[in-house]
Amino acid sequence: MNCRLCQKELDAYQEGVLPEGTRSQVENHLGECKECSESFKLVGLANKVMADEKSMQSNPFLVTRIMANIGELGNNQAGYQPIPFYQKVLKSALVAFSVAAAIFLGIMEGNFNTPTQSTTKLPVEMTYMNDVVLESVDLLSQI
Amino acid sequence: MTDNEIILQIVQGDQDLFRKLVERYQPLVFRTCMGFLHNKDDADDLTQEVFIQVYQTLPGFKGDASFSTWIYRIAVNASLNKIRKSSKNSFIQRMETVFGFDKGQEVTFQIPDNENPENILVLNEHREWVQKALNSLPENQRTAIVLSKYDDLSQKEIAAIMNTTEGAVEALIQRAKASLREKLSHFKKKK
Repeated sequence: MNCRLCQKELDAYQEGVLPEGTRSQVENHLGECKECSESFKLVGLANKVMADEKSMQSNPFLVTRIMANIGELGNNQAGYQPIPFYQKVLKSALVAFSVAAAIFLGIMEGNFNTPTQSTTKLPVEMTYMNDVVLESVDLLSQI
Repeated sequence: MTDNEIILQIVQGDQDLFRKLVERYQPLVFRTCMGFLHNKDDADDLTQEVFIQVYQTLPGFKGDASFSTWIYRIAVNASLNKIRKSSKNSFIQRMETVFGFDKGQEVTFQIPDNENPENILVLNEHREWVQKALNSLPENQRTAIVLSKYDDLSQKEIAAIMNTTEGAVEALIQRAKASLREKLSHFKKKK
């Protein structure tokens, strides 16, 4: 038996499911080949760790915990009431009406509440005054 | 009472009958989760999530495959999703470990009281090697080896769960075993 064939059969050899002839061939090879013998130990190690994990038991209260969660889930679903159609329409209409009313009131406020105009009238001669010839304020700053 | 009869009654509103399904399939789901996660508490939590998912999707169970195949698929997908999520968070966890916020995972294996401390250390080291080697396998190889080694399923059953052929499952398991041997010998040489 060569190393490739031996490596392929290692797992079955470990589990003890090989037929007698193949089993003795594997045994002979393992006795001669150091590398395959090392591989066999590693296969044993991996199988042992996996068997340890496999034998672990879950939390004894796991079923109760699961059923409690399922119960909660059921209650939440039972407590969920769909909103009736008329309520949905009424709510939307109310929101739309509020927005429209707010815009309308804003416009009304802007149009009717104009600031009061100044009642003091300027003398008529002021309108004929030519501002261009007046002294610039900049000139005053140079003094 | 068969699975299909129980499922029919649950779908019709008999919620309490779900307990029967949980009691029947909980060890199977837990073992599968344990094979992927290698941590008892995580496997417990994931088992719970799997059953909640099963309950929520139960009306969608058509009965094309057996119920056990269906529940295995849910458990495998949930486990792979959990691993993908945790690998995304691994950078944050590494930073937390560096800065001392993370206390690390507790060792959850049952160690015999009479075992001497040196043996315990060696045992833990070996467990770490095997877990690392299993975690480094591609998803399909990992699924095939977990279903084969932890759940003792036949290649035919694994093929049904993975939606593939028996030949493909055999190839996956062989490749996974070879890869495990290679990785374990690498860990041993590094030591």
